[in-house]
Amino acid sequence: MNRIPVQEVRRSLQIRILRHNPHDPASKPCLQTFELEEAESMTLFIALNEIRQTMDPSLQFDFVCRAGICGSCGMIINGRPGLACRTLTRNLPECITLAPLPGFELIGDLSVNTGKWMRGMSERLETWVHQRDLDRADIDQLEERMEPDLAERIYELERCIECGCCIAACGTARMREDFVGAVGLNQIMRFRLDPRDERSDADFYALVGDESGVFGCMTLLGCEDYCPKDLPLAAQIAFLRRRMVATGA
Amino acid sequence: MEIIYTDVLVIGGGLAGQRAAIGAKRRGHETIVLSLVPAKRSHSAAAQGGMQASLGNCLGASGDNEDIHFADTVRGSDWGADQHVVRMFTHTAPKAIRELAAWGVPWNRVQRGEHEITVDGQKRTIAESDAAHGLITSRNFGGTGKWRACYVSDGTGHAMLYTMSNQAIAAGIPVHERMEALALIHDGGRCCGAIVRNLQSGKLLAYVARATCIATGGYGRIYRVSTNAVINEGMGAAIALETGIASLGNMEAIQFHPTAIVPAGILVTEGCRGDGGLLLDAAGHRFMPDYEPQKMELASRDVVSRRMEEHIAAGHGVQGRFGEHLWLDIRLLGKAHIERNLREVKEICHYFLGIDPVRDLIPVRPAQHYSMGGIRTDHRGQSPQLRGLFAAGESACWDIHGFNRLGGNSVAETVVAGMIVGDSIADFCDSPEGELQVSTALVEEFGQRERQRLAGIGSGNGGESAFELTRLMQDTMTGNVGIFRHGDRLREAVDTLQELQCRAANITLRSSAPGANPELVAAYRLQRMLKLAQCTAYGALQRTESRGAHYRADYPRRNDGEWLRRTLATWPAPEATLPSLDYEALDIMTMELPPGWRGYGDKDHIAHPDTERRKHQISAALAPLGDSADRYTRQQALMPFEHLLPPHLRRRNQRLGDES
Amino acid sequence: MPKTLSALSARMDLLQSLSGLLLVLFIWAHMFFESSILLGEDAMYAVSRMFEGEPLFGKPYPLLVSAAGIAVFLLVAVHAVLALRKFPGSSRQYQLLNRHLGVIRHEDTTLWYVQVITGFCLFFLIPAHLYTVITQPENIGPYASADRVWSERFWIVYALLLLTVHVHAAIGVYRLVMKWYAPTGVQAGRTRARLKRGMWCILAFFILLGTASLLTYMRIGYQHADSAGERYRPASAPVGAR
Ligand SMILES: Cc1cc2nc3c(=O)[nH]c(=O)nc-3n(C[C@H](O)[C@H](O)[C@H](O)COP(=O)(O)OP(=O)(O)OC[C@H]3O[C@@H](n4cnc5c(N)ncnc54)[C@H](O)[C@@H]3O)c2cc1C
Ligand code: HEM
Ligand code: SF4
Ligand code: SF4
Ligand code: FES
Repeated sequence: MNRIPVQEVRRSLQIRILRHNPHDPASKPCLQTFELEEAESMTLFIALNEIRQTMDPSLQFDFVCRAGICGSCGMIINGRPGLACRTLTRNLPECITLAPLPGFELIGDLSVNTGKWMRGMSERLETWVHQRDLDRADIDQLEERMEPDLAERIYELERCIECGCCIAACGTARMREDFVGAVGLNQIMRFRLDPRDERSDADFYALVGDESGVFGCMTLLGCEDYCPKDLPLAAQIAFLRRRMVATGA
Repeated sequence: MEIIYTDVLVIGGGLAGQRAAIGAKRRGHETIVLSLVPAKRSHSAAAQGGMQASLGNCLGASGDNEDIHFADTVRGSDWGADQHVVRMFTHTAPKAIRELAAWGVPWNRVQRGEHEITVDGQKRTIAESDAAHGLITSRNFGGTGKWRACYVSDGTGHAMLYTMSNQAIAAGIPVHERMEALALIHDGGRCCGAIVRNLQSGKLLAYVARATCIATGGYGRIYRVSTNAVINEGMGAAIALETGIASLGNMEAIQFHPTAIVPAGILVTEGCRGDGGLLLDAAGHRFMPDYEPQKMELASRDVVSRRMEEHIAAGHGVQGRFGEHLWLDIRLLGKAHIERNLREVKEICHYFLGIDPVRDLIPVRPAQHYSMGGIRTDHRGQSPQLRGLFAAGESACWDIHGFNRLGGNSVAETVVAGMIVGDSIADFCDSPEGELQVSTALVEEFGQRERQRLAGIGSGNGGESAFELTRLMQDTMTGNVGIFRHGDRLREAVDTLQELQCRAANITLRSSAPGANPELVAAYRLQRMLKLAQCTAYGALQRTESRGAHYRADYPRRNDGEWLRRTLATWPAPEATLPSLDYEALDIMTMELPPGWRGYGDKDHIAHPDTERRKHQISAALAPLGDSADRYTRQQALMPFEHLLPPHLRRRNQRLGDES
Repeated sequence: MPKTLSALSARMDLLQSLSGLLLVLFIWAHMFFESSILLGEDAMYAVSRMFEGEPLFGKPYPLLVSAAGIAVFLLVAVHAVLALRKFPGSSRQYQLLNRHLGVIRHEDTTLWYVQVITGFCLFFLIPAHLYTVITQPENIGPYASADRVWSERFWIVYALLLLTVHVHAAIGVYRLVMKWYAPTGVQAGRTRARLKRGMWCILAFFILLGTASLLTYMRIGYQHADSAGERYRPASAPVGAR
């Protein structure tokens, strides 16, 4: 291979990680700094794995798809919630501080139990199509038609990956543990838009028409600003608020 | 040890596992799903491009039906597939997609009127009919005769998995997240559950079940460069293998996807090419038509990947900072199309490459993508060797993919298999066979064995590092068991893997942190992955022909005479370093579509003597029917399959224009 | 049928916003009237007479001002009670919130926090101001007000009030829009940025206007300090003649 070696100055990164292992009674939360030479196209996924493989094998974190698709790797990166797997170190300063997403049960170090929280949210808001006799749907016949544009609008809201960044970014969710957050309100909007779901606004009001639902949201917009999928959360919450006021008041 | 009893234990919370669980639960059986990660984070979510089902709604799909889907799939598999199962699959796929449509997946729909599309590098205008407006639309994919990949923008798997998971939640099926099955409990002939490790606390527990279904996905992570998620380590297949009884089919059949971005190995969907994207070389030349004048960029994946590597080897690759690559060009599709139908692709390019595919070329090179092989099952999804053990999805070798899977056939398989296998699990539980008497002693014995294994890893002081050995295994597989294979290199790989297996017994842990301990996890998974890698390498070494994705440079022709057989691997003893291989012949005399040329790729192959006989038999069977017989009758005359399906899935699929 | 929730939450949320909006409209209008002093003592005199109902009844009734003051006070009270629900309710919540603010870098959250703090200040400042308005409605006029500002040292209250109320109001309006009509579509981000720029412009405008009037009152009050207590007599008798 006739590659001309590029002389490049490699940065040395200081990665500070908020560490704590709740399964170890002796463990106390503390910041630990790791030094690492930056590589070309290095993501936090690569950096953290390198730390685990060469420096501290007990370091805990979650990655699954490492492609920004599955929502496993949300963490606080220099004060901002985001997906670690798709964060390139070259876009960060030399000193990088990583902390687990607040608002979720800590499993260890950077790993938090977003799955449990999200399942609870789904059960509480019943985030599925409600239709009578759904299990007896005729699947031999042509499918029900849907306007192409409507299908796309549903998908727009369906793109949420339940990463939890909006919960971590939300002052309301921090103060009220029962707040369903932007992720929950968005899902309500997704099913509200879906003609296959037979629930009415009154049904939705029963789910989110209080302070743990849409009226708890104080429009802090952390969700909108840090959602890695750029979902139109503020607009959806505003719309839902109007609908719920019209229904409830 | 804590023991949890249930009727059905499903190991794996991806599309296949959850659909099977819903099926079993609906028939009234208590069902628990285990998953390494929250179910919605399973790798099914990463499927982008589409799901194949012959709905035939949009213009590009008109005239499509099960027959064409069947033929495409069998040709794609290079005749390695089980044709009865392919028939069951293609017949059920339209039902699967319609069920998902009713459950809430926002499939993209046909829009009446004129559209601009890109075909063969040219813009063309087509008009969709009023009659099809609002029905599910589909896009073009590699190796298919029709536009058959139904899609939700390029987040198809995500939308499907979320809908599926939500339905599972609605059905009240508990998912025990962050749980890893470490071993199957069995008495030599009957599977009775699994020993499971809690990945938060590190505790072991036992799940005892009347039926156990493995749906743990692929094992791509035995390779260094793979599009797979980091959890795709094949643990389901590995624990089945470790029973010493259940067999794994066609483990050497590994698919390499043409367009993974360089260097991250993240996939950009086949939909890019399906929608009209092109492959270019260093000179900006579109080279695929030179090799494959018929299907060009849209030949099957094995063929395109091979041609790309061939082209790079011929000196036409782009010299990049991370080695050589080629270009994927989707600029010609236009900004509007990319932002609507290929938005994940755009996001991936933006975040991982810092480029905008609307204006820039995407650097790509083939990477490991899919495991055709897996736990061998019969057409009902049950292991032929171990009763009470079922498998579905990518972890299974139900065998619709043979030696090469078509894009979009995998997520379709997961759901279809989930529907069928879920039902046969319920049948099994309802039958006298489903009764389970298991002694706690047996359960304790298996628990004790796993506990000792874990303790053994913890106390080893041979000085080996689990992370280091994993890297060596992955390098060996990517280097020696890749797209182009050769006897010498394969032999080398087998030797290296045997050596690594010995070294893996001497791993020393540096950390003894309480809880999950990620280093311990890496260590015990490595031991199991090495066995899968060995099945792959050793199977590839023995198979002295080229078929589908398995290409032997030293045996470049497909050899139906000797190798129209499925490899079955079992692990003879815990301390063995090689699998024992067995072969299961595919009977041409029962095939609906006897072996021939695929329509792309090499024409040259060594025929089986039965092929001609079967062709004559087929002509003879069809002749009396005359031209007036409909396609169902003709198919029925060649290879009846409906009786293999659960009764409620046997009815015909209605299509646009059919009387209902 | 799912459990039913009361309509109270919806009503309170709406009322909180409506009361805030009314107060903002009031305070902005109030600014224009108050700053009539910039056009001269006569203009301000005319405006204050107008609010005492002179054009309508032929003679001023200061009680009308008291009534208006009480109305505003009630509105403020309603608004404050509703908005205070959003204050951290316990020390634990307060700690959580503080930690959140410490960890997360986020502009809009900071803006909200500024509103909470200014709201808290207003809780004390507004009653102080309204108390004088309600109890001494007749003491509003070019000299009376100026004397209060200067000789009675009310400028300190007013300066603080000016700053807090406008910061609170401008942010409040921006947040009201986002709360009920957040922009959608591809342009959403840009529209929001424009809204925010609009918010800063309005804030700057009212702070400047308010500062200018306050300085004017202070100047008049300073010049008039020797005869503090004396009432203003307009140059020309008929109201609004200039
Ligand atoms: C990037 C990418 C794109 C793809 N795009 C397409 C496409 O467009 N069309 C298409 O048809 N196919 C596509 N595929 C293939 C397809 O996505 C997969 O084959 C399919 O989703 C596999 O589904 P599954 O249910 O079998 O397994 P998965 O979805 O992989 O689920 C496996 C489950 O098993 C669990 N598990 C694993 N091991 C254990 C254990 N030991 N104990 C407990 N639980 C365990 C995991 O937690 C997970 O829940 C794509 C694949 C990739 C990698
Ligand atoms: C005692 C006086 C006041 C207090 C304690 C107070 C407190 C608050 C608080 C805490 C909020 C934030 C509530 C939330 O975000 O949900 C708020 C919002 C608001 N305030 Fe005030 N405020 C006072 C007076 C005023 C005045 C005088 C005005 C008008 C100029 C005003 C206009 C607003 C507006 C428009 C909002 C936004 C409303 C909403 O979010 O629904 N407030 N106030
Ligand atoms: S709404 Fe956005 S930030 Fe919140 S969970 Fe979904 S994807 Fe993540
Ligand atoms: S707008 Fe603010 S309060 Fe409402 S959900 Fe988003 S972050 Fe939370
Ligand atoms: S690992 Fe899946 S989003 Fe980061």
